[in-house]
Amino acid sequence: MSNSTEQPFVLAVPDDDLALLRKKLDLVRFPDELDDAAWSYGVPLADMKRLVSHWVNGYDWRKSEAEINKLPMFTRDIDVHGFGTLNIHYVHQKSEVKNAIPLLFSHGWPGDFLEARKMLPLLTEKSPDHPSFHVVALSLPGFGFSEAPKKPGFAGRQYAEVFNKLMLSLGYNEYVYQGGDWGYILGLHAVTHYGHKHIKAWHTNVPSVGPPKLLSNPLVWLSSWLSSSNNSSQAKHGNARNWRTKGMGYFMEQATQPQTIGYSLTDSPVGLLAWIYEKLVTWTDGYPWTDDEVLEWISIYWFSRSCPAAAGRIYYELTGQNTHDTKAGTKWMSVPLGVSYFPGEIIPTIKAWSSMIGNIVFESEHDKGGHFAAFEQPEKLAGDLWKMYGKGGPAHGVVFGKNGYD
Amino acid sequence: MADTENEKPFKVSVPDEDLEQLRQRLALARFPDELDEAEWEYGVPLADVRRLAARWADGFDWRSAEAAINALPQFTRDVAVDGFGTLNVHYVHQRSAVTEDAIPLLFVHGWPGHFLEVRKLLPLLTAGSAEQPSFHVVALSLPGFGFSEAPKKKGFAAKQYAEVANNLMINLGYTEYVVQGGDWGHYIAGYLATYYAHKHVKGWLSNYTNALPPKLWNAPLAYLTHLVTPYSAKEKAGWTRSQGFRLTGSGYSHEQATRPQTLGYSLADSPVGLLAWIYEKLVEWTDEYRWRDDEVLEWVSIYWFSRAGPGASVRIYKEMTQGFTRATTADVRWTSIPLGFAYFPKELNRVPRSWLSTLGRIVFESEHEHGGHFAAHEQPGELADDMRRMFGKGGPAFGVVAGKSGYAA
Repeated sequence: MSNSTEQPFVLAVPDDDLALLRKKLDLVRFPDELDDAAWSYGVPLADMKRLVSHWVNGYDWRKSEAEINKLPMFTRDIDVHGFGTLNIHYVHQKSEVKNAIPLLFSHGWPGDFLEARKMLPLLTEKSPDHPSFHVVALSLPGFGFSEAPKKPGFAGRQYAEVFNKLMLSLGYNEYVYQGGDWGYILGLHAVTHYGHKHIKAWHTNVPSVGPPKLLSNPLVWLSSWLSSSNNSSQAKHGNARNWRTKGMGYFMEQATQPQTIGYSLTDSPVGLLAWIYEKLVTWTDGYPWTDDEVLEWISIYWFSRSCPAAAGRIYYELTGQNTHDTKAGTKWMSVPLGVSYFPGEIIPTIKAWSSMIGNIVFESEHDKGGHFAAFEQPEKLAGDLWKMYGKGGPAHGVVFGKNGYD
Repeated sequence: MADTENEKPFKVSVPDEDLEQLRQRLALARFPDELDEAEWEYGVPLADVRRLAARWADGFDWRSAEAAINALPQFTRDVAVDGFGTLNVHYVHQRSAVTEDAIPLLFVHGWPGHFLEVRKLLPLLTAGSAEQPSFHVVALSLPGFGFSEAPKKKGFAAKQYAEVANNLMINLGYTEYVVQGGDWGHYIAGYLATYYAHKHVKGWLSNYTNALPPKLWNAPLAYLTHLVTPYSAKEKAGWTRSQGFRLTGSGYSHEQATRPQTLGYSLADSPVGLLAWIYEKLVEWTDEYRWRDDEVLEWVSIYWFSRAGPGASVRIYKEMTQGFTRATTADVRWTSIPLGFAYFPKELNRVPRSWLSTLGRIVFESEHEHGGHFAAHEQPGELADDMRRMFGKGGPAFGVVAGKSGYAA
């Protein structure tokens, strides 16, 4: 039941846009920096100067663009109740295995659809040893090359509706789901509304549950998380503690005044670079970022269909401007759930609490990897999905007639 | 005994090149979209930013604003700060129009404020008569703000801000003085009292009502009072407003207190971004103050053209709160020098009086019907009047500075 509004999508940033970016970078004005600040006040000046210089002199967007265009990308109109139609961009890579499991991958912030990129060959390849998937990786509304909602109130239910209608329109009446960051929260919403009927199982690499509410004192919650009973590798790693104690500023601003910070992020490529690069470094587990990788990542935001400001609104909408938890409106569902723990994950997780999220059928703990698991550790994450859905796995055959093997 | 050798007269003089670059950046401005009917719900409205940016590029006359600012008596001097070498500090210094025996007053701004917040107070406070005390007014640009140098090393915090302000006053020959401040000026005044009460600081008036609750062990009387005294209607209203501010209006402070450098790249590079960041506060923190566009643009220009750049100014949040881990007033010590509070209804934060009493010996209080966070700018007449009533004849802090009563002999 394919929808005739699907169009192939070719990324083609206009020359004018590249020229404007170049003009802005040429005019860059840097702030000063304290002696020996390193990372303690934010992104170091030396990193920024190096990245900007490379952006001007070395980084080749057209080369990135050409590579991205090798992915099978499309757009189609999705109708969202109360919000009209949104034109949604997505990668849709089918496996040669006819009975491959349809899988929807959702990114978060400051992520994008390309986070699925490294997993695509692993998930779609045919193998006697592991299941195969047809992978759909969308740009969330307001991110990447999907249209942004125009009205207030586009929240969990609406994202879930986009997910489900997209998969249905591709002919996938039943499917599975994988997500981290907002992809996790939106997964909760999606499973609440479409679990069992359409979403037959799901997986997250950010199995966070229980506190913290934004309203509560994060340090109080943190101390209970750090108590002696929790000596998980995540607690030992430091990323999560750093996030809670000194890394929530972006969250608070985007949850309360996303438009205000949006002016900076839309107008200054350097401001946007710093805002996102800080997360790419502090949220990962020793990932050896190349400057090209960073700049490609930031470019997706800079050249996004809407504007960088639109993406931050998800924080506002999903928290009701900091008045409720992101999980409000979701419920525990018995849809099979798999979780993976990565030590560098920033959002604190407590294994003993994970069963409060959903019906845990699969658990996996890793010794390396952070928040952007699909990007940092694609083999590990894909491997978890293979185990979860493969022959003998706890979620094998959840999608009728599509068990991942021909 | 003023140390005058070190002092240089100062005139704001933005290079033509900087003006031109600002125009170029504004010409290249890229604006975000906006949700339908968003108004102020998600942050600053797009129409406001577009209008202001357009005027900034063409219409707002910085040179004219600059000339008017330069009518103020401004100076710079090197001020020593233990562990930080010397910082070149910019300040306005206006002597009383009527008497040598005027009360020396230090005015301390906050963020996103600046030294010009004193502007409307100057003629009011330096005037005087037999019925009305007069002041010598010093209004500095805090290090990292306006036209003062920024510290280069980590850890320039409460003690250092107090030290630089105190050293400035002493260098100007004011070994005893009083202080007025709001926002960071309130906290810095609190630390000035903590470190220099009696010896140098003889009294202070704050228009920012924030303090920690009294504890049994450090303020037993206030603690017990707090337990038994119901909140007044104004305290309750203020409390509700404070909660609202904390919930939806404090995102900027989280970022500035934890990752100021990251934010600094945006503020330094995007005039539109800086404009939105500050204008949001100018509107949300004031009491229906009718900002003229040129007034806003002059204000934001002080930040855009500041000596250390706009990124430097936000570090104060991280330094003063130790990265958002410590309440700013945590180390303010109660002193017995006279303390006054001017209450303005639209101030962002208001804690009960019993909490404020942990900061000092409250001898003066004044409730106002209008005004918000930027009291000196919004309600200069009211604030000047508070200063006069607190420190003038018959006031609870009259004559605190020996030989400088505020009146001609």
